[in-house]
Amino acid sequence: MDRILIVEDDPETAEAVAQEVRALGCEPVWLATLDEGVAASSQDFRVIVLDRMLPGGDGVEAMARIRAGGSRAMILVLSALGRAAQRVEGLEKGADDYLPKPFEPEELRARLRALLRRGTIEVLDNDLLAFGDLEIRLKARTVHVRRAHVAVSPKEFELITYFARNAGQVVTRMQLLENVWKLHFDPGTNVVDVHVGRLRRKLEEAGSAAIQTARGEGYVFAPLKAG
Amino acid sequence: MSENRPLAARATLRLALLMAAAVAALSLMAMALQYRLVETRMTEAARATLTADLGGYAALYEQRRIIALRQAIEYRAAAPSGAEMLLLLDRRGNVLAGTEAQWPAGLTAQGAGFTVDPAEEFTQGGTRWLAVARELPGGFPLLVARSLAPVDATLASLRRGMAALGLALLLAGAGVGWLAARSVMRRIGRLNDLADRVAGGELSARLPGPRSRDEFGLLETHVHGMLDRIENLNRATHRLSDTIAHELRTPLNRLMQKLGRIEGQEEVVDALRSEIRQSIRVFDSLLDISRAEADQGSGGGLVPVDLSEVAQEVWELYEPMAEDKGLLVQADVAPGLRVLGDRNLIAQMLSNLIDNAIKYCGPGDSLRLTLTEGADRHLMQVADTGPGLPEDLRAEAFDRFTRAERDRGIKGHGLGLALVRAIAARHGAKLEMPAAEKGFVLDIGWPKLAS
Repeated sequence: MDRILIVEDDPETAEAVAQEVRALGCEPVWLATLDEGVAASSQDFRVIVLDRMLPGGDGVEAMARIRAGGSRAMILVLSALGRAAQRVEGLEKGADDYLPKPFEPEELRARLRALLRRGTIEVLDNDLLAFGDLEIRLKARTVHVRRAHVAVSPKEFELITYFARNAGQVVTRMQLLENVWKLHFDPGTNVVDVHVGRLRRKLEEAGSAAIQTARGEGYVFAPLKAG
Repeated sequence: MSENRPLAARATLRLALLMAAAVAALSLMAMALQYRLVETRMTEAARATLTADLGGYAALYEQRRIIALRQAIEYRAAAPSGAEMLLLLDRRGNVLAGTEAQWPAGLTAQGAGFTVDPAEEFTQGGTRWLAVARELPGGFPLLVARSLAPVDATLASLRRGMAALGLALLLAGAGVGWLAARSVMRRIGRLNDLADRVAGGELSARLPGPRSRDEFGLLETHVHGMLDRIENLNRATHRLSDTIAHELRTPLNRLMQKLGRIEGQEEVVDALRSEIRQSIRVFDSLLDISRAEADQGSGGGLVPVDLSEVAQEVWELYEPMAEDKGLLVQADVAPGLRVLGDRNLIAQMLSNLIDNAIKYCGPGDSLRLTLTEGADRHLMQVADTGPGLPEDLRAEAFDRFTRAERDRGIKGHGLGLALVRAIAARHGAKLEMPAAEKGFVLDIGWPKLAS
């Protein structure tokens, strides 16, 4: 069973994180101080969920120590310091993802799942991503459904490749905004939905129901179920 | 900042001129006193000579009257020195002896004695004379005069000297005054520059080097003390906002987690979550605004950013939404314009503006984003033909929580434009709301990045 380390001083939050970890079929290990967390990080963990304002210091500053200890776990910073500059700082200092508090459980689950997958994914040496009759060619930047070309804008292509890399999992709007648009703020409107909607319509017109809505959570790229 | 330069220069000039004038005036007064003294003494000397002359003639007159006088005058007139004028006439006005051919015009004989008083001055042949004119008993007019030319020459050269000295003093005074004023102004200028830098956001700016043990040093110490205090307050504000963020987020976070455990009432849970999200957004915006305002002009954390690219990206993010709402959209973004900035903040600012425009415009309205290279700034304009701002709101549109009465029905918290202003200020960009026939137009002048 995969183990996930939670370094978090608030028991309530730690329990909420642990719940999501269990829901993903992993085993949570909770530690409440930074030093304990850093000490334990050399054990075999797949993901480390790290708070920032901890007894003993800032989790982001401790990432170098965690890496120096030989840990190869993915690090998800989960912090109340959630403004764009702080998120960018965390990512630049080596975090693999950064989720501001308060977070929605679905959001955390989606991100943990993406990290777990990222940890195992082999580098795609091929140029072709194929999901049933949907084919994405990375070098040529083309999308084909049932061998028919689907014209997509450059942004839509980035969107579909991000979906494809996380195929079968819930992808949240925030993840899309961060990874496809590289924007670390909440625009508060459904801008992302409009883009996904357009891409989805194009695919559906070509006969692929690859993108589906996960109610209240985001989207799932699940072409296998599609006809 | 730079408009203070001529002001300081003017003060320096004024001070220098004032000092020069004061020095020159004082010296001129001293010299004038000296001049009066010299003039009096020399006139007295001329008088003394004349008195001695008259004494000699009086003695001769005592012995043999007119004859002795005539002989003496003839003797003297034979070898004229030019410094004296002698003339003796007879009863009918014929010249008996003398250096002159006739009695000077306008001179009348007074009295009969050989005393020097009353003496009078007259001018002849371009020189001034001090003259004693008498009519000796029996009707013999006698004139004894001494030239005042040496006195005048001395006084004239004295005047020339004074003029030259006055001019030299004026120049020297101006020079010394300028130097003194400049050193004062330079020290004031240092403080002014420091104040400018601090006002510009560089809160940690200080004057380098040791402080002198005088009033200026004291002033610098005081200013530094003030700046330290401001800097500490600013740091405390930053810490406070981070703490607030943490302390309020934790309970909100618990709220959010507990919502997740409610089952079977998904609509209520969704509504509550969206409320929580909305509160966090207000709260984030407030923190973002105060952070951007606090960091204003500090330049810290800003890196070269391709403004054109960010504008294009944000535009592409919102374009489909605007199209879906039936707006006529158009973007003219000149490529490759760079600024010193924070990509995320710029994107956030633009996204606020475009989002606002889309929110308030209706189908058929147009929305346009332009970015061009101006003479000294990059000019960005977001223009729509929507309802625009109500007149009475224009002045305070960029204040926090300003919302028009008529927009109560539209979702929003009135922080969008406040954040836009704070982010613009953080980047040193100028906001302007040009009058538009219809709709809302905002010009943003970005400082160019020197390449």
